[in-house]
Amino acid sequence: MLYLVGLGLSDETDITIKGLEVVKKASRVYLEAYTSILLVDQTVLETYYGRSITVADREMVESNSDEILRDAANVDVAFLVVGDPFGATTHTDLVLRARALGVPVRSVPNASIMSGIGAAGLQLYNFGQTVSMVFFTDSWRPASFYDRIKENRSIGLHTLVLLDIKVKEQSMENLARGRRIYEPPRYMSVGTCAQQMLEIEEQKGEGVYGPDSLAIGAARVGGKTEKFVAGTLRELCDADEELGPPLHSLVLLGRRTHELEHDYVREFAVNKETWDRIWKADYEG
Amino acid sequence: MVNFTVDEIRVLMGKPTNVRNMSVIAHVDHGKSTLTDSLLAKAGIISAGKAGDARATDTRADEQERGITIKSTAISLYGTLPDEDDLKDIVGQKSNGKDFLINLIDSPGHVDFSSEVTAALRVTDGALVVVDTVEGVCVQTETVLRQALGERIKPVIIINKVDRALLELQVSKEDLYQSFSRTIESVNVVISTYLDATIGDIQVYPEKGTVAFGSGLHGWAFTIRQFAIRYAKKFGVDRNKMMDRLWGDNYFNPKTKKWTKTGTHEGQQLERAFNMFILDPIFKIFAAVMNFKKDEVTSLLEKLNLKLTPEDREKEGKQLLKAVMRTFLPAADCLLEMMILHLPSPVTAQRYRVETLYEGPLDDEAAIAIRDCDPKGPLMLYVSKMVPTVDKGRFFAFGRVFAGTVRSGLKVRIQGPNYTPGKKEDLFIKAVQRTVLMMGGKVEPIEDVPSGNIVGLVGIDQFLLKSGTLTTSDTAHNLKVMKFSVSPVVQRSVKVKNAQDLPKLVEGLKRLSKSDPCVLVLTNDSGEHVVAGAGELHLEICLNDLENDHAGVPLIISDPVVQYRETVGAKSSITALSKSPNKHNRLYMIAEPLDEELAKAIEGGKIGPRDDIKTRARLMADEFGWDVTDARKIWAFGPDTNGANLLVDQTKAVQYLSEIKDSVVSGFQWATREGPIGEEPMRSVRFNIMDVTLHADAIHRGGGQLIPTARRVLYAATLLAEPALLEPVFLVEIQVPESAMGGVYGVLTRRRGHVFGEEQRPGTPLFTIKAYLPIMESFGFNADLRQGTGGQAFPQSVFDHWQLLPGGDPLDPTSKVGQVVLEMRKRKGLKTEVPGVDNYYDKL
Repeated sequence: MLYLVGLGLSDETDITIKGLEVVKKASRVYLEAYTSILLVDQTVLETYYGRSITVADREMVESNSDEILRDAANVDVAFLVVGDPFGATTHTDLVLRARALGVPVRSVPNASIMSGIGAAGLQLYNFGQTVSMVFFTDSWRPASFYDRIKENRSIGLHTLVLLDIKVKEQSMENLARGRRIYEPPRYMSVGTCAQQMLEIEEQKGEGVYGPDSLAIGAARVGGKTEKFVAGTLRELCDADEELGPPLHSLVLLGRRTHELEHDYVREFAVNKETWDRIWKADYEG
Repeated sequence: MVNFTVDEIRVLMGKPTNVRNMSVIAHVDHGKSTLTDSLLAKAGIISAGKAGDARATDTRADEQERGITIKSTAISLYGTLPDEDDLKDIVGQKSNGKDFLINLIDSPGHVDFSSEVTAALRVTDGALVVVDTVEGVCVQTETVLRQALGERIKPVIIINKVDRALLELQVSKEDLYQSFSRTIESVNVVISTYLDATIGDIQVYPEKGTVAFGSGLHGWAFTIRQFAIRYAKKFGVDRNKMMDRLWGDNYFNPKTKKWTKTGTHEGQQLERAFNMFILDPIFKIFAAVMNFKKDEVTSLLEKLNLKLTPEDREKEGKQLLKAVMRTFLPAADCLLEMMILHLPSPVTAQRYRVETLYEGPLDDEAAIAIRDCDPKGPLMLYVSKMVPTVDKGRFFAFGRVFAGTVRSGLKVRIQGPNYTPGKKEDLFIKAVQRTVLMMGGKVEPIEDVPSGNIVGLVGIDQFLLKSGTLTTSDTAHNLKVMKFSVSPVVQRSVKVKNAQDLPKLVEGLKRLSKSDPCVLVLTNDSGEHVVAGAGELHLEICLNDLENDHAGVPLIISDPVVQYRETVGAKSSITALSKSPNKHNRLYMIAEPLDEELAKAIEGGKIGPRDDIKTRARLMADEFGWDVTDARKIWAFGPDTNGANLLVDQTKAVQYLSEIKDSVVSGFQWATREGPIGEEPMRSVRFNIMDVTLHADAIHRGGGQLIPTARRVLYAATLLAEPALLEPVFLVEIQVPESAMGGVYGVLTRRRGHVFGEEQRPGTPLFTIKAYLPIMESFGFNADLRQGTGGQAFPQSVFDHWQLLPGGDPLDPTSKVGQVVLEMRKRKGLKTEVPGVDNYYDKL
């Protein structure tokens, strides 16, 4: 049996009891460590679970899944995913491959950023399509997220923006030469995300959002040092220091708001007066 | 003593209308360096007595030993027209006084070193093409002429070694005239084939003074102009009219004292004016001197109004002949005059060259400064090659200032060949340490050098590999990268004898790569070092330099092997599909062969990635039968962004396709650089992207997902399209006497050679055989040929084309081609069997 076990958002204790039981009795345990990371080290996890685990990088999950699925029809294999196993689209493929091999699959859900972001005070009902923001390079500045946000904004919905993490990636040059040399890990901050968003708006000029659009920066959601900062996109460009270390996410507000949302989020505002003024002008009713 | 100073040269540099930048180009052994000597003697750089023997521009020991030129060498000369009146004959361009600066580059004639010629041509505006009277226009004459015309270089020619025709072949005057005329015609045939309308008629005509005749060895030469001046006085006619009469079907009837166009008078054959007025005195001198008729010589000298030095008068035979002819028709005067009168100044040349030189728009500040040869404009300097300094491991960057002025300490942008405006790749901003004047083997310091001149720079070599653009303008594009007519198709691997020498080898390879415009130095993943050159000789010289100079350590050198190309023989049997590692992205592609003509046009630089897309599409539609819409959707050329493989987008309405373009192109560059059969570069394959499905979110379709996928789908498409190997083929031209022809055929047949031309040089017992010879079979060919013909055959081999390697399927290890692939993979340390299509093709 292949178990996909969600680990939750923050540290070793976020695992569910059901999940922990699976981990304890499985013959092999893999930790997927590239779509997101926990805020604690692998050793902390191992101590808590009372057993050793293998870190599975992108290379292994995508190109070498046979090893993960080896003999899984007869023994139990646990595949640990930070957040919820199906929070992202990434692991459907592993399930497909398991099915093809006749390996039964079961999953143990957990909290994901998709639900955890509710702590920012916006109603989850009113979120539209989620988008990701990648690190721009000189030649690669994908802007497709803009069209998604446009769709969300056109019917007044909030947009959750997930930020790029590069845990173990090759540089463009090493990729093109087939060298397995990896870059040091990088995590995108809310500041970078806000800047990139504004750059694309300037380029496209469709007025989907602007420097004065309201947004919330979120850091380490679900952890002990969870932090939210609300403000205009321009304000968030410089809010990295306040937000602190990774991981970050961002929510761009939609126009369909509720008074309770205002009262709740206002507490996070960088500048409450600006917040009130813009809310009143652009978001109320 | 050198009869001019650097200061004098610097003054002339500031008058670009009086500058002539020219290369001396020719087939090997037609006498370039020997002719150059007479110019150097005139300038006082070598003594007159030594001229013809010194070959002063062959500065390397091996050049002197082998008697061939290997590296091109530049030298600056001071030239003066004898008479103010002569300035009138400079047609179509202005000049400023009768003093001129000639920047001359002597270049190698052996085909293996053609890249040196390319580098020389780039920095010059005119060319002196040297052709041997006896051998006529040979393969390399044609190659260099074609290159010159491609760069918009105006040619003048000299028919050299006329003394041989007179002394060895004993031809009659009319035969000699006919032979000259044939040679000039064949030169003009080449010129008109590659003619570029922009620079006008550049065919050469003796009656216009653009053809000289002479002997570099004996130090004499003339153009018709010199005789015309003599006779113009005598006949009292205009000298330009006289020039017309002294060539072609013009006769002077001594009886009627009239000029006529018909060759007969009252049934009697008249003597052609050229023979009568020009060849006759020369023939008489030869006859008198060689038959030791002292009295006749004395009377001839008097008639021609020539005075010999007492020393010279004592000489006899060939030595006397040399002295007389040299006094009568000094080669240097004739050549200098021809260059000054007929070659363009930088001011004239840059006006029409700017289009072919500059990659950017023709109305930006850099283009305008180049066009106007403006010394006050932004600096635009092209470094065409690196010249080793006495300081081991350091190089002068050798190049031409096309605009602005370069001086010591000037901060410049150093833009390598891969630089694209607005980006930071392949760009350095550094100061020029020193500027120098290149004088043959020596250099002279010079404070600054203005536009239109040739210069050496210190302190640039660390930032440029081989060539590049130097500028002070932030917006300037590159000056166009040179296209070489030869490719590094022959390679040998090198190892150190003693393991501790490895760092020295690595350093030495770097220096070697810098010192030669064409040599290619590669290190395989298995750690094998490979040096690739244009031919066996080129490689031998390079490896010799590497062992004795650049690395200075004993080396083990493998047998030569050739580079192959991977290609396809048909269209992919089914559409290839590969999925990205996360399975959310799918690429569908088809491979098909590219038209050979188109592949050649790409390799020849006629069609390239930097062309305007619409113009290129039009050209491809008109000349290569492409669909215009397809041609506008070429994503990339590869490998190295300019190779002869194309990636064409044929998808319909795929959203966000542009966001994966870079990744797919990277994968394409990778795949075409190392093909699926044996990691050899691919050639002449067109890849069509048929369809693409993508994940909605950008994070799931980054480079990590798409680059490897693009490579896999390209490999799959190739393997589904009857993959094949191409082998490089030499065009061999062999000069051989009839008696030894049998031996030539024998040797060629044994080596899979294919003879396609056999022609007798009129008036000689020599035959020219032209054949195609697979380079793989050419190793040791010269020695074999020498043996087969008793040393009477002289071959010249130049890479000509790629041909399908016959002998079966490369994927079948039992076939002949399969064996070649197996050997190749073993050598490279790859898994011996070729990975099958299943490794790259993903089922739906």
